[in-house]
Amino acid sequence: MQLFGDTHIDFMKYRKFWIVVSFVLLAVGIFSVFVHGKLNIGIDFAGGTQLTLKFKEAVEPAELRGVLAGAGVADAQIQRFGEVGEHEAIVKAPLAEDGAEGAAAETGAEGGPDAGAEGGADRSRRAIVEALDARYNQGRTGIDLNRAGASEIATALLGGIREVRSEADLARQADALAVAEAILDARREVGLFTDWDEVAAAPGVDAEALSRLQSAAYLGEFALLGVESVGPQIGEELRTKGILAVILSMIGMMVYIWLRFELRFGIGALMATIHDVLVCLGFYALAGFEFNLTTIAAFLTLVGYSVNDTVVIFDRVRENMRRTRRMPLVDLMNLSLNQTLSRTILTSGTTLLAVGSLLLIGGDVLRGFAFVITVGVIVGTYSSIYIAGPFTLLWEQLFGGEARARRQERSTRAA
Amino acid sequence: MNRSLLYRGLLVLALVVLAAFAAWPLDEKINLGLDLRGGMHLVLRVETEDAVRSELTKDMDRLIRLAEEEEITGLSARPETVEEGGGAVRRFVVTGATGERAETLVDLARDQLRTSQGDEAWDASRRGDQLVFEMADAHVRDIERLAVRQARDTISNRIDAYGVAEPDIRPISGTDRIVVQLPGVDDPERVRDLIKRTAFLEFRLTEYPRAGGGGAPSREEILANYGGRLPEGVEVLQSTERDEGGTGWYAVQSRPVITGRDLKSARPGPGQFNEPVVLFTLTPEGGRMFGEATGANVGRGLAIVLDGRVVSAPVLESRITDEGQIRGTFTPQEVEDLSMVLRSGALPAGITYLEERTVGPSLGRDSIRQGLRAGGIGMALVIVCMLVVYRRAGINALVVLVLDMVMLFGALAYFGATLTLPGIAGIVLTIGMAVDANVLIFERIKEELKAGRTVRSAIDAGFGKALSSILDGNITTLIAALFLFQFGTGPIRGFAVTLSIGILASVFNAVIVSRWMFDLRLARRERVERLSI
Repeated sequence: MQLFGDTHIDFMKYRKFWIVVSFVLLAVGIFSVFVHGKLNIGIDFAGGTQLTLKFKEAVEPAELRGVLAGAGVADAQIQRFGEVGEHEAIVKAPLAEDGAEGAAAETGAEGGPDAGAEGGADRSRRAIVEALDARYNQGRTGIDLNRAGASEIATALLGGIREVRSEADLARQADALAVAEAILDARREVGLFTDWDEVAAAPGVDAEALSRLQSAAYLGEFALLGVESVGPQIGEELRTKGILAVILSMIGMMVYIWLRFELRFGIGALMATIHDVLVCLGFYALAGFEFNLTTIAAFLTLVGYSVNDTVVIFDRVRENMRRTRRMPLVDLMNLSLNQTLSRTILTSGTTLLAVGSLLLIGGDVLRGFAFVITVGVIVGTYSSIYIAGPFTLLWEQLFGGEARARRQERSTRAA
Repeated sequence: MNRSLLYRGLLVLALVVLAAFAAWPLDEKINLGLDLRGGMHLVLRVETEDAVRSELTKDMDRLIRLAEEEEITGLSARPETVEEGGGAVRRFVVTGATGERAETLVDLARDQLRTSQGDEAWDASRRGDQLVFEMADAHVRDIERLAVRQARDTISNRIDAYGVAEPDIRPISGTDRIVVQLPGVDDPERVRDLIKRTAFLEFRLTEYPRAGGGGAPSREEILANYGGRLPEGVEVLQSTERDEGGTGWYAVQSRPVITGRDLKSARPGPGQFNEPVVLFTLTPEGGRMFGEATGANVGRGLAIVLDGRVVSAPVLESRITDEGQIRGTFTPQEVEDLSMVLRSGALPAGITYLEERTVGPSLGRDSIRQGLRAGGIGMALVIVCMLVVYRRAGINALVVLVLDMVMLFGALAYFGATLTLPGIAGIVLTIGMAVDANVLIFERIKEELKAGRTVRSAIDAGFGKALSSILDGNITTLIAALFLFQFGTGPIRGFAVTLSIGILASVFNAVIVSRWMFDLRLARRERVERLSI
């Protein structure tokens, strides 16, 4: 099946119009990111603490914000997360006011390495958990089965006795630990225990174990699914590294293209790539996705894809150049674009199918990533035609062979 | 069937079998990143400045003491900050020493104050009637290095006690940072408290084996020795991980003879026969207690216990009061380590948290499920697309795609590369982009066919001409992946690796395998009129 017959579309005819469109899109993008400051910067770059929580019952973001503000954590961002019935939320707290790493290390009474320095990010996290605890687990005693670790659960199962004085003790300890692990596994499945039956369902939890647990522990109202804490120093380093990576890779590719093709093509490709990155960034900011490390990875991939696309077209141009000695560049471009149209549509199409499914059903964590690639593929295809081409032509007009000849003529005439 | 066809076919088969073998069973062979498996990732900074300051004070005091032994008294010394170092304390100044006394002091410093590598630790110079001792760079670096190592060992010991499956604790060379990766830990509070706790050092007399040494091979043996039940006042402790692997077990007294509080200093030094030993000093009170205990127990083992683990259990050779040697068949490395361990009860070097990421395994589980589902659906859609557009030739694309996945997972498993969540995204992306090479080739073949070439030559030309586009395009994507790897951290690196392997596999398959499939079809009959493409 022929996807597109022999097409003779004059792509380059309306290039001036499309460049204007591009500039408008670019302007909107740059405005929304840099001027309007709408980019949602994640803690990877801004520092701070991010907690992923799961609640037993639905909690309104407004209520959560109130609880946290009451505990001194102002500016907390609350976001719903995951599927609707799961009651999961993400709490993001910026670095504490002083932004510093916290007090210098204390020397403990015994001396020795004391991790006493609590950074700003540390303080926020502790404050958040304590605030939530106070509000939602008020009045409960014992350990929280939804937050305890294997060791604590094992101790509870042993009725609080941890000494090993004999073989029998050894065996009992090992058993308790195994049961604790089983309980943790069960907790991992559901995320949060809402009912003692769920605990009883774990292998190894017999009636006696259950009663010991019930007297020594309770089922808390929330569980911590994940914690991320980034100090200001690391945040800054990641920022720098991220930006460097993108810039250097763009330069690297341009150099490669320059070596394989010619400078004018390298310029065209560079312009197309910069255009893609900025326009995508604009859309990304408008969509409100968080900008973090994974986003940088997405953009770098986008750069790779965009250049890939452009290179295929330039390869065709180069081949056509060799075949038809004197065809003007404009016509060469059009010819090559028409010839590669099938391929361009098909490859973009398949890539879109793949990342599209990732965007729709790939889950919250990767949605931002998928968004960048999806928008990037569309914009990248467009830019390979309407940015790379025209800019190469422009470069040619200003600095290319004919222009050089004209200038020489002018200077010899003047002299 | 011609020979080239056979060989190529065997090559492909071999690769597929290898890949499948390496990657099966899937959930055991693939190394999952922390973001998928669940666990903790910490970046800590060791406050080496504390250690430097402390060493400076120690050396300063030591010099004064040495001077007093040489009958040089009436000196006073105090530390000084250095402006260039940003206010760091790197010098101390001695007043009251002139002329010959100063000479002696400088000599003493040069001979007695040395780094663990044996270099001179201080540069002396005169300033008016004062002697200024500036810490040599080698000494500063030495202290910093040791402080980081000590912190690493301490953390390692404590994590050991907690019981994590495959802890990964390592310093970042050239910096004062330590990266801690603990898979499967879902109790971040507890781990942080653990690391935060002060190192607790104790000296305890051993009960069994009585002379300490390497300890018993197992806890059971010790229990057996006591008839199955330990008496009051006796505890069983495990030793730290030995260099040769494995650990030893000791029955020790529950009450310590002295603790870290009583230790004043510990450092490596030469013994009687110039063998490596640990020289330590105790506080006066500690010395007194120690003297009583050791005097009554010569010949017995003395277990050095840090955070509940036995670091070493040398034999008491004589009564020790405030200064002593720990001798044994130590290598210089062991002696250095042991001194550090002893000092960790006396040397403060704080730890700051720079970064912490904890992912509960349920999050990871969900992500895997969703990512793979998206990948599966994406793959199915792409295949349908290819079959519709390219008909029979689309089967090539199907085979190539399947092989891509097999090889991708095989390579991941074989190289022990880590699969992270972005890595899964990389896989999905590879699915989408993998067909690009195929499309380029097929479009070319179609063009050549239209231009009037025979089927055979069209296929040849198609592959030949498309090759440069394929290479150029994919190399640029590889460049992007390279930079990602260079500048990225854990999960991003996983993505870069997955993407790179995916690209390499897809190019290989599109060029070699697809060609082979065409050739296979052509080999069946003499003249092929039409190609279903």
